[in-house]
Amino acid sequence: MITLYDFELSGNCYKLRLLMSILKLRYDIVPVDFYPGRQHKADWFLRLNPFGQLPVLKDDDLVLSDSGAILAYLARKYDETGLWFPDDPAVTAEVLRWHAVADDITSTASAARLALGFFYDFDVPKAQAGAHRIFRLMDEHLWFGEREGRDWLCSPAHPTTADIACFPYVMLSEEGGIGRQDYPALRRWTDRVRRIPGFTVMSGIFPAGQALEIA
Amino acid sequence: MTLSVSDPTWYPIASSEDLPFRHVYAGQLLGRELAVWRADDGNVNVWENRCLHRGVRLSIGINEGGELKCQYHGWRYANRSAGCTYIPAHPADAPARRIQNRTYPVREAYGLIWSAANDEQAFRPFPGAEGHDWFALRPMPVNAAPEDVLAALAGLAPDDQPADLLPGLAVRFGGTYYFVQPVDACRAVIRGLLAEPPAEPVATLRHYNETLTKLRDRLERAARKKPAPEPLQPAFDKVSADLATMPDIAIPKGNTITVVVKRKWTSADGVIGFELAARTGHLPTFQPGAHIDIHLPNGMTRQYSITNGPGELMSYIIGVKAESASKGGSKVLVETVREGDLLSISEPRNNFPLRRDATRTVLIAGGIGITPLLSMARFLDKSSLPYELHYFTRAGETVAFRADLEALHGKVTFHTGVPRDEIGATIASALGQWSMAQHVYVCGPGPMLETVRETAAAQGWPEEAIHFEYFKNDKVIDNSSAFDVELARSAMTLHVPSGKTIMEVMRDAGLTVPSSCEQGACGTCLTTVIEGDVDHQDVYLNNSEKASNRCMMTCVSRAKSARLVLDI
Ligand code: FES
Repeated sequence: MITLYDFELSGNCYKLRLLMSILKLRYDIVPVDFYPGRQHKADWFLRLNPFGQLPVLKDDDLVLSDSGAILAYLARKYDETGLWFPDDPAVTAEVLRWHAVADDITSTASAARLALGFFYDFDVPKAQAGAHRIFRLMDEHLWFGEREGRDWLCSPAHPTTADIACFPYVMLSEEGGIGRQDYPALRRWTDRVRRIPGFTVMSGIFPAGQALEIA
Repeated sequence: MTLSVSDPTWYPIASSEDLPFRHVYAGQLLGRELAVWRADDGNVNVWENRCLHRGVRLSIGINEGGELKCQYHGWRYANRSAGCTYIPAHPADAPARRIQNRTYPVREAYGLIWSAANDEQAFRPFPGAEGHDWFALRPMPVNAAPEDVLAALAGLAPDDQPADLLPGLAVRFGGTYYFVQPVDACRAVIRGLLAEPPAEPVATLRHYNETLTKLRDRLERAARKKPAPEPLQPAFDKVSADLATMPDIAIPKGNTITVVVKRKWTSADGVIGFELAARTGHLPTFQPGAHIDIHLPNGMTRQYSITNGPGELMSYIIGVKAESASKGGSKVLVETVREGDLLSISEPRNNFPLRRDATRTVLIAGGIGITPLLSMARFLDKSSLPYELHYFTRAGETVAFRADLEALHGKVTFHTGVPRDEIGATIASALGQWSMAQHVYVCGPGPMLETVRETAAAQGWPEEAIHFEYFKNDKVIDNSSAFDVELARSAMTLHVPSGKTIMEVMRDAGLTVPSSCEQGACGTCLTTVIEGDVDHQDVYLNNSEKASNRCMMTCVSRAKSARLVLDI
């Protein structure tokens, strides 16, 4: 039995809801009032995750934290196709590289969003500038990917957990005052992610239009 | 040079490759934010990046192929015209006429999308544009003043090949052209073009990308040391009053449009297709289920439904039944109008609005009644909404628009030659029991409409869920009564004798009264009743509307009381 300790407006929690929806997994939700309740710093939560961070996932008796680690766990354990976290040393390294980028996006784009929307005391201009630096690199990577026939962040011809890990806080960046106008390839990639079968929405993240079926 | 918000110069605002199908690109030119999207017919739209409803950015909208749908509230705007085709929750399920988003001129050429802040100048190719197979570089956004970016680009020219400055913030040396898109006073995008595709495209793109990245970093470092210029302040048109307050019924002004008969063909035995094209540009926005009046060479006016899908505004396609019994109307179209002829048509009008918030939509057509339903099916198709289309044809009759129907993704069922006594049962099973948010639309011969109405009612379908359109009123109009009408707003009392309609009497008194079918079928002459007992003889209003005694058609309705007070 899978249980997700979840805050509806958290992009990191949404990453897990998204992958579980794509993998068609059934799970229970325990809502954690991150804001304004600060329940992620409550004693009962710190006993689950001493780092005091959402999300936490319980699979029977196993307790896991860190969204990137949990994505890898879910994909390895439940994805029979083996596509979402491929068992290939070079691809694993690639995926983990982008999981690290996802953390950088969290500490910049998500920090700006927390400051503007949840009154956290972060340096907004610095967080915004940091997010723009990452988005520039991603846009370039994705733009050349399109030229080379690669639609996703990593080299396989299908999405991986890297795409899921990086997606939410790119989509929510406007809430942190970070426009995506200068990143057309990044915007096209978000359309592709939103067309993955099993895609699910959260507040601020909509589905994309249907792709055109070329008959 | 200083930038101006009203600068009419054409600048590139995107690469062709930036606009894949079903994507909305976010652009900006001289301070104006733009929503740029390619429709399924290849046309590129450049619009102000705001939904007219609440000002939400359209660049987060959904490109449905023929319409752009606002993510938040569901307003839709058509390809080419930017006319609004759907306002959710509007009383008539349909927008007032001519709600239109702000559009900007657009041209796709040389691998780039070009636009301008206004329509003052015609598009002109840049010097040396013709005769090459242009290859676009990766665009490079720069946070620096456009003039500074241009100067730095000129500095890239090798010593033996001095830069040639071109009009419109452009520079050239050798076979390389750079255009600077003035995004705002302190932001620009460098758009490079090579005159021929290189032997190794990706390596070449990487090489130029590296050069431009270095240039950008240098420019941004310098820009940070200078005071930032004031951002440009484009003025935006205020939201018009008729947007803020929705009129109940929009009475068309009676404008006519001249169209060319571009194509005339036999779609099925006895059904002739006509393609009516605009002489220049595109035709007005229409909604699914809308019709046009065609003014025929013999002076008659007839209504025909538009069969097109969303955003197809280059021509309207209609189907005309060539009944041998037809006296005049369609017969003239079929027999005397030829390809190349000019016809006068009205603006599209919609008495048959399609809801797009239904969970299940059933479309039932009989014979030529397929035309408005084909349009509806196309709209539902493009929006990926579930629907079922049932098309009844008599034995021996052939199916009109068959290829178009077969290209749809919804459930299309052809019922050919169903015996008369089985039609009811077929309709009953097609409809099923009603449940919340299901709607049925029917168009066909009178008896079929009645069957659908009765069957649906018997299976629990409420009146509001049954939608139909009559093109003809088959009833015999009884005009023997005589009574007075008081026109409350015009402060006039008129006597209506037997043998004359209210409409005729009002016209004799010098009033202009809008009408179209003049037989109580189209709804154009719908009027509010203030007092009196109406003798309805139309087929437009449904039973509860008739029973309410609050509205009537002045073209056929009369009074049962001695006096009627109308809101005219
Ligand atoms: S003019 Fe058509 S209903 Fe009266």
